[in-house]
Amino acid sequence: MGSLFRSEEMTLCQLFLQSEAAYACVSELGELGLVQFRDLNPDVNAFQRKFVNEVRRCDEMERKLRYLEKEIRRDGIPMLEIPGEVPEAPQPREMIDLEATFEKLENELREVNQNAEALKRNYLELTELKHILRKTQVFFDEHEGGASTTESMTRALISDDPNKHMGQVQLGFRDKQESLEFLPCFVAGVILRERIPAFERMLWRACRGNVFLRQAEIDTPLEDPSSSDQVYKSVFIIFFQGDQLKTRVKKICEGFRATLYPCPEAPADRREMAMGVMTRIEDLNTVLGQTQDHRHRVLVAAAKNIKNWFVKVRKIKAIYHTLNLFNLDVTQKCLIAECWVPALDLETIQLALRRGTERSGSSVPPILNRMETLEDPPTYNRTNKFTSAFQNLIYAYGVATYREVNPAPYTIITFPFLFAVMFGDLGHGAIMAVFGFWMCYKEKPLQAKKIDSEIWNIFFGGRYIVLLMGLFSMYTGLIYNDIFSKSLNIFGSSWRQNYNESTLTTAKSLQLNPDSMDYLQHPYPFGIDPVWQLAEANKIIFMNAYKMKISIIIGVFHMLFGVCLSLWNHLYFKRRISVYVEFIPQILFLLLLFFYMVLLMFIKWTSYGPSPPNFDDVRTSGYCAPSILITFINMMLFKTDPNMRTDCDDTMFAGQMGLQKFFVIAALMCVPVMLFGKPYFIMKEQKARASQGHQSIEASAENGTAGGAPVPASAHHDEDITEVFIHQAIHTIEYVLGSVSHTASYLRLWALSLAHAQLAEVAWNMLLRKGISTLIIIHTLSTCRAACRTRRRTCACGRCRWRTRSSPRSRGTCCSGKACSPRATRAASTCTWCSRAGPPSPSPSWC
Amino acid sequence: MKGCIFNIDAGYLEGLCRGFKCGILKQSDYLNLVQCETLEDLKLHLQGTDYGTFLANEPSPLSVSTIDDKLREKLVIEFQHLRNHSVEPMSTFLDFITYSYMIDNIILLITGTLHQRPISELIPKCHPLGSFEQMEAIHVAATPAELYNAVLVDTPLAPFFVDCISEQDLDEMNIEIIRNTLYKAYLEAFYEFCKLIGGTTADVMCEILAFEADRRAIIITINSFGTELSKDDRAKLYPRCGKLNPDGLAALARADDYEQVKAVAEYYAEYAALFEGAGNNVGDKTLEDKFFEHEVTLNVNAFLQQFHFGVFYSYLKLKEQECRNIVWISECVAQKHRAKIDNYIPIF
Repeated sequence: MGSLFRSEEMTLCQLFLQSEAAYACVSELGELGLVQFRDLNPDVNAFQRKFVNEVRRCDEMERKLRYLEKEIRRDGIPMLEIPGEVPEAPQPREMIDLEATFEKLENELREVNQNAEALKRNYLELTELKHILRKTQVFFDEHEGGASTTESMTRALISDDPNKHMGQVQLGFRDKQESLEFLPCFVAGVILRERIPAFERMLWRACRGNVFLRQAEIDTPLEDPSSSDQVYKSVFIIFFQGDQLKTRVKKICEGFRATLYPCPEAPADRREMAMGVMTRIEDLNTVLGQTQDHRHRVLVAAAKNIKNWFVKVRKIKAIYHTLNLFNLDVTQKCLIAECWVPALDLETIQLALRRGTERSGSSVPPILNRMETLEDPPTYNRTNKFTSAFQNLIYAYGVATYREVNPAPYTIITFPFLFAVMFGDLGHGAIMAVFGFWMCYKEKPLQAKKIDSEIWNIFFGGRYIVLLMGLFSMYTGLIYNDIFSKSLNIFGSSWRQNYNESTLTTAKSLQLNPDSMDYLQHPYPFGIDPVWQLAEANKIIFMNAYKMKISIIIGVFHMLFGVCLSLWNHLYFKRRISVYVEFIPQILFLLLLFFYMVLLMFIKWTSYGPSPPNFDDVRTSGYCAPSILITFINMMLFKTDPNMRTDCDDTMFAGQMGLQKFFVIAALMCVPVMLFGKPYFIMKEQKARASQGHQSIEASAENGTAGGAPVPASAHHDEDITEVFIHQAIHTIEYVLGSVSHTASYLRLWALSLAHAQLAEVAWNMLLRKGISTLIIIHTLSTCRAACRTRRRTCACGRCRWRTRSSPRSRGTCCSGKACSPRATRAASTCTWCSRAGPPSPSPSWC
Repeated sequence: MKGCIFNIDAGYLEGLCRGFKCGILKQSDYLNLVQCETLEDLKLHLQGTDYGTFLANEPSPLSVSTIDDKLREKLVIEFQHLRNHSVEPMSTFLDFITYSYMIDNIILLITGTLHQRPISELIPKCHPLGSFEQMEAIHVAATPAELYNAVLVDTPLAPFFVDCISEQDLDEMNIEIIRNTLYKAYLEAFYEFCKLIGGTTADVMCEILAFEADRRAIIITINSFGTELSKDDRAKLYPRCGKLNPDGLAALARADDYEQVKAVAEYYAEYAALFEGAGNNVGDKTLEDKFFEHEVTLNVNAFLQQFHFGVFYSYLKLKEQECRNIVWISECVAQKHRAKIDNYIPIF
């Protein structure tokens, strides 16, 4: 059997790698992705392993890369995707180069950032100073106006000769000796806007109301140099008197992280200072621009490679992680690894190892030993891009035991088909298939795009499933004869209506009788007859009956198939007991109960139907057809249908009651076999072995491994017998209840199919038809209007010309008193209209 | 009845908190941590726990203070998250927890300014959970009265401070008294608040807070021997919400040496056990450690009950203990001083 049927055969191998060659070999194996290493030192702490230093160095490199990435993102520079191939893991000696490169980049960037920050801080200070000068100007101007509430202070401030104090106030504090007695000092500064209320309250409390604060908001946000956030700030100016208050105010300002700036008192000084500040800001701007340019250049250079570097560093890290799983042999010369490998790929792995050795320049070839083991190997299913999606579907439910039958290949058909049963619509299916086909066709370019959207990746990962689901839906859509909830009449319906016209126009609903001439007596060649599309009253009832039965039939066959697969497992693992006490009762249970029900459906389909026109036998007519559901329930309850119609037979065929009773009893007999059979045999075996001694265990184990079949076949010998009982009980209950509930669950195929059909109809009526019709109306309206306009013009002229030509005649006819022909009147009426548009002419007098 | 409607407001946060609690390091983690040779090893091991990559962006070489900062940062982020999503009365409860950090911060700042340290150097040392707006301007004040009038009157600590307003200058002694008076007022207020909430919260929190109060009383007494603190003043500092109140506190107020304190504790079964095992000899655990251990047990027990706010308090305290443990171990590792590395207090 091919590898598609079962999971791959695995062997445990021991790998002896030379210390120098180990890195290259693991790198090669990593690219191959076929080997699963086992942890040989599970007791050793993460930080006590051999290559922990290398792992740590990789961590450090990753940190630097993350820092770079963050900076690149902050500047919004696009990071180039890795063009083409993913880079291979670099040699260990390249690691030092990489480290050096990253180190250099990081340092450079940090330096640039530091410079930029210092410059920005400078810039911020200057801007704040600029704002202070501007805003305080307003304050001072107001004071000069003299209308403010603090008149005394104002007056003091603008003392008669402000120039007297020029140049003496450097930090904004008035020199005391020269000032007047009550002249207040002031400080000016900038503070975060949200701190203003607390700041003001604190000032008031700490200085007992002896200060005066004015503040104004700076409208534009300023950039905080350390975090490069935009912050809003306010300018404030505080007036006070005395040295004690000065220290106190300064302390509070410091506490609230307000920055204080010198602000000269004289307007002329302020103006001069403002000029100076402006020029310095301009200078700084150019310097800042250059720094930013430099930073940008560094980052752009880094952005080209960063993805590549990330891959490289991660690969190195992964390799050292793997090497940490290895054992060191006594001589420290070589590393010992244990790994699971697929038996078929041993050659490839050998080759990869050889490549690795060559690359590392080592002379000693690595040794790959097969090991015998009693352990359960891991399950490995080889997949390709087509089967991998289906395999993942299976994995979502569980991973099969080693060498068990892999259900994935069957899923390739059953999954899309069961979907299509629910999604049967030619139109919708076609849309889906086109979408799936597009994804498959554009596979490579789409893959290269590396779209991150999770939803997209779900669809793209399952592109082959989508394609198949679409195709199968088209097929079931054809069978349901459903295309956007409409029908196709390809072969011509087998139904005719023979009503006369008056009935057709008056009656609300009409019946077509299959026993009469209405039915052509041969079915529609493929799928459902399109006439059902017109049957408003009983279309759903008809479809339900059909789809329900189909669902159960599909379901029962599906389950039977699944149980049959277990036979292959039992045979393969040589579990003969399981075949007799598990598989056979299981399949009997299913056959006798549910497959019998399926048979009843077919019997019902074939033996009941419209009777020939003469109604000779009512017992085979639809009138007498029994309900399958009721029949089945009665079969389980051992009773007959009390509501049977009088003219009809009790049974569908002779001997049905007896057969049914036998089936039910036989099926129920299967349950205890399933329940107790296996534990009983195991118990017997154990007893026999106990008398024989323990030799047989070893023998059977050896047989197991030598025969290619793995150990599990004999593994449960050592289990406690009660555990076997419990396990078997759970298994049996699950199977019996499962087969009932699964049968019911397959009805969901019908339910969802019904839901889809109904929704499709709603969608057609409410969305598509309305949308299309309004579209058409709008379209026709607009084209009409345009056409009318042009036609009006041409026709008007045309008709007019004609009128002028024929008017004498028509007037003549009209005036002669004879009846006007319709054509003539039309011509005449057009002409009257024309006459208004055209040159005035004598209107006909006959109308 | 309270339990029925508890989840409406606090169910999500309690679940979150219990989830956080599961990330607290286990005994096996500590066993691994003490084996570390360097701080890098420590980092590597912590990466495997709930701390994850909290140190990943720190350049080597690591220092203990970085680890401490990062541990604290993580805890603070978690707590702030809980606080931001809470509603009354839980938000007040969580605020109450932060008040103790505010008290610590105030005392730290005052002491710092008293020793002429610049405020900018002190601010980073403050606990972020206890920071408040006016905190940095605290050095304006020279006397407790000023401190109250200028700084604290706007903070939630104002009601606790009423007892300490005086016109004396701030000095070492004064500051200690302020700290303990504040703490006393705070503990009593918190105790009352928990009583007010009632239900399981009261059961759990009152137990923990009563222990906290008694511990403070005992520690204050022991530390006051040989200082100029008078017995009357000392008695004023005892929080009066513990189990020692009132007889035990009265006896403590009269105590003159360690033995007498121990004699007082003899009357209370749980405290007697703590004094029993404590000693200053090598290999013995100090009384302080014993107290910590008892606190940890109480806090762990808080998680045994559901539908109460105690878990948030307990989580914070347990996590703090864990931070102390990790920092202790890292200090031992960094200083190559492995003899005492086992002196951490395991939580689970």
